[in-house]
Amino acid sequence: MPNKVFFNFLFLLIFRHRSKHIAIFIISTLVVILFSSVMLLSHAIEQDAQASLSAQPDFIIQKMHAGRAVETPVEWLDELSEIEGVSSALPRVYGSYFYTPNAEYFTLVGIDLFDRQISESLERLVKDLDVKDFLAQPSMIIGSGVKTHLDKFYYKEHYTFRTPAREKREVSIYDSLLSETNIVSSDMILMEESLARDILGVDEELSTDLVLYVPNELEHDNVKEKIILLFNNIRVIEKEELSTAYAQMFNYKGGLFLLLYMVVLMTFILILYQRYSMISSSDKKEIGILRALGWSVNMVIRLKIMESLIVGLSAFVLGILLAYGYVFYLDAPLLSEIFLGNANLSNKITFNHSVDFGLLTLLFLFFMAPYISAVLIPVWRIAITDPLEAMK
Amino acid sequence: MIKIEHLNKIFNENRSNAYVALKDINLHIKPAQTVVIKGVSGSGKSTLLSIIATLIKPSSGSLMVDEQMIAKLPDTHASHFRNVHIGFIFQAFNLFDELSVKDNVAMPLIVSENRQERIDKKVLEAMELANITHKKDQSVHNLSGGEKQRCAIARALVHNPHIILCDEPTANLDRENSLKFIEILKSFKALGKTVVIATHDPLFDNLESVDRTILIEDGKIR
Amino acid sequence: MILLSNEVIIFLFVESLLLLLLSIAFINTLSIYSKWDFNASTSLQYRLEKRAYLVVLIIVVSLGFKILLLPYFSFMIDQLSAMVPGAMCGAGVLSSNEYGSTLLSLKVVTLFLTGAWLILNSEDIKAPAYPYFKIKLLLFIMIYLLVVFESALDILYLINIPTGAPVACCSSIYGAITGGSPLPFNLDITRILILFYLFYLLSVVSSLARYSFLNTVANLLFLYIAYFAVVYFFGTYIYELPTHQCPFCMLQAEYYYVGYVIWGTLFLGSFFGISAFILKLIIKRELSYMYRLSLVFNTLFVSLVSVYVLVFYLKNGVLL
Repeated sequence: MPNKVFFNFLFLLIFRHRSKHIAIFIISTLVVILFSSVMLLSHAIEQDAQASLSAQPDFIIQKMHAGRAVETPVEWLDELSEIEGVSSALPRVYGSYFYTPNAEYFTLVGIDLFDRQISESLERLVKDLDVKDFLAQPSMIIGSGVKTHLDKFYYKEHYTFRTPAREKREVSIYDSLLSETNIVSSDMILMEESLARDILGVDEELSTDLVLYVPNELEHDNVKEKIILLFNNIRVIEKEELSTAYAQMFNYKGGLFLLLYMVVLMTFILILYQRYSMISSSDKKEIGILRALGWSVNMVIRLKIMESLIVGLSAFVLGILLAYGYVFYLDAPLLSEIFLGNANLSNKITFNHSVDFGLLTLLFLFFMAPYISAVLIPVWRIAITDPLEAMK
Repeated sequence: MIKIEHLNKIFNENRSNAYVALKDINLHIKPAQTVVIKGVSGSGKSTLLSIIATLIKPSSGSLMVDEQMIAKLPDTHASHFRNVHIGFIFQAFNLFDELSVKDNVAMPLIVSENRQERIDKKVLEAMELANITHKKDQSVHNLSGGEKQRCAIARALVHNPHIILCDEPTANLDRENSLKFIEILKSFKALGKTVVIATHDPLFDNLESVDRTILIEDGKIR
Repeated sequence: MILLSNEVIIFLFVESLLLLLLSIAFINTLSIYSKWDFNASTSLQYRLEKRAYLVVLIIVVSLGFKILLLPYFSFMIDQLSAMVPGAMCGAGVLSSNEYGSTLLSLKVVTLFLTGAWLILNSEDIKAPAYPYFKIKLLLFIMIYLLVVFESALDILYLINIPTGAPVACCSSIYGAITGGSPLPFNLDITRILILFYLFYLLSVVSSLARYSFLNTVANLLFLYIAYFAVVYFFGTYIYELPTHQCPFCMLQAEYYYVGYVIWGTLFLGSFFGISAFILKLIIKRELSYMYRLSLVFNTLFVSLVSVYVLVFYLKNGVLL
């Protein structure tokens, strides 16, 4: 039934009523941009966080004292690595270092250049490193955010740290890290483990925490149980728990925005309803002619629904494209600050392009369902126009 | 064959502003007849035309076209009936000004035809009948009054209906074009169409091509 | 807390919009139903006929959205599994409280009736004088009550999803770990498969021969057996893991969302097969396209799941 003349006529009608549609189109596009950019952003951040999480160890073990995490004895590793299913167990040394000139915290991470690294990206980094050159003098590799802050005070070649005992440690800047997942590592400083222990004040036989690798996911529950039986006063963090926590954190942040947008959307529905409820005499005449020519009420409803659908859908597509550009090409100015906060170093962030089918469905439902609901009654009202209007 | 029996139409029924438009109308129109319904404006002739076209439903009484009861058809079927059997020519032409002549003429076919080539063929035939083919790609607002009339006639003929209803067809035409319309009436007759014209134009008085003239006054046939 | 998740907010938002629309239609339906008299030519009746367009329009649009929302619901609980500790897929989230499985079955039943309503409506419009108008309205009233009930269950279910305590994952729900036969009537997998193909053949024969009642029975039996066959046999070939028995994991991206196609074709095939008979009772006439569609979707479904087994066998030379 819908043929060329029908679509010709449909587009002509849209063009003819452009003054009526244009405002709706603009508002619709804005509404779509508003909520889809937030959703795209939170989705991208979550994907990014989950991606860097996948390289993380399966278990993190911390010694607890009076409810606080304290340094964990390295000797525990002997017992831990004997648990069945554990492929490797490593100590980690890291901590925050307060950078006085800018009142910022850097994350200091100690790496053992001759052992397995705690993440794949580190593994790759160490593999490409000229170890002899790196160890010739106390050196560090710094994240992009750290570099900006050191540059500000002209620490171009080296920086002098202070140990907890107020001794000076001059460390030269070996390289600055072009971070691939820059959310995690822009405030990072990597240095040789013993140097990091020195600056952070961690003893030889202690570590910040211990990590375990258990390749078989089905073993995780058993391993966790065994770890808890081995020691008192410990906290075991499982990777899945972190992943759940991330998912909850980002998803709920997006959720709060959605609740706000629902109010916006409700207002939008009312505007839409009002706008399309205004039926001019020329509209009535138009429908009257069609009815006289043998169009049924159902046909007119179809025509009118299509008319608003085309306006709504094109606004939706345009809005999504603009939001995509805003988040992934302009790196979401303003919004990203709300989402990431300034708890760590503020820095420029590039998001990995990530959109999936589920997210698009979600956005589609969120916009199109209220949109179509709002036009139903006005469309019906115009479709049942008395065909006698054509006779006037 | 149009058969109307005991037909009444009351607008705003059961309300304070109720108003009787048609009272006990009985009318038989034979196939291929040309009938003129005369009356002053407000006499109910347009209402009668609308009821025959199933645009409005009567308050009581029956309307049969080709032995089919059509007064009470649900809208989908009434519209289908209209789309198959009725061609309409309005006083104000009622064309879509922004559309081209041929798109205007194609309008009734949108609902009933699926194949574009069939539509194109029928549109061309109708435009030739109405002698407007040379303007087929022009948009309607560039046309003169007479050309608009011919475009409207092509639209009324395009789906090959056997009943043609004209509501004050000459009211917006000058004398020359009105006379041309009367010529066209003859060709309708030659095509075997049943034609019902509602008008108060004296031009239609005592025409050879008109088989019957009915006078309507205050909703009643005189 | 789970109510703040994006998917849930949008789901509830759309559901409540639809409920609002359907309520408008419902109120109109009640007044139309009580005053409808097609033979009257009063202006009241003409007004009701006009009002009926609104009711039908609203129902068609919101039921259309309802059809979209069922796959969305399974997508949503699948997404929630990332936030519910212990759950690996929708199965864990669905069984995390006592409302889940009731809710899902209710949704399927509603969708089934919805489909029947849409077909009845198109038949009603085609005939002169609205022959099925009152049955259509009655069926809608029934669907509406189910939808109201469903919305209440939606809320109950969602607020009772635990986010703290770990829930079971599909391996423990579908019996690979706990042991014991989860299959009905003490059937084993071989017998299930024999029945699976047998009932399929029966449905093919009965639909080709237009035995509407037999076709309904065959499709009901097929639907029942096909569920178990997919979960306990065909699914393991999709996952390529003999212990992975789950109706939900196949909805995930790792398996190219094939679950939506599998369950979708099964639902459509059974829907057309079963409702052909029910609609025949109402409209006293065969709708031959229903048999055709049932045949097409059942065949698509059977070929799809069989191809998984075949491809696995060709690739690995063994069966699981």
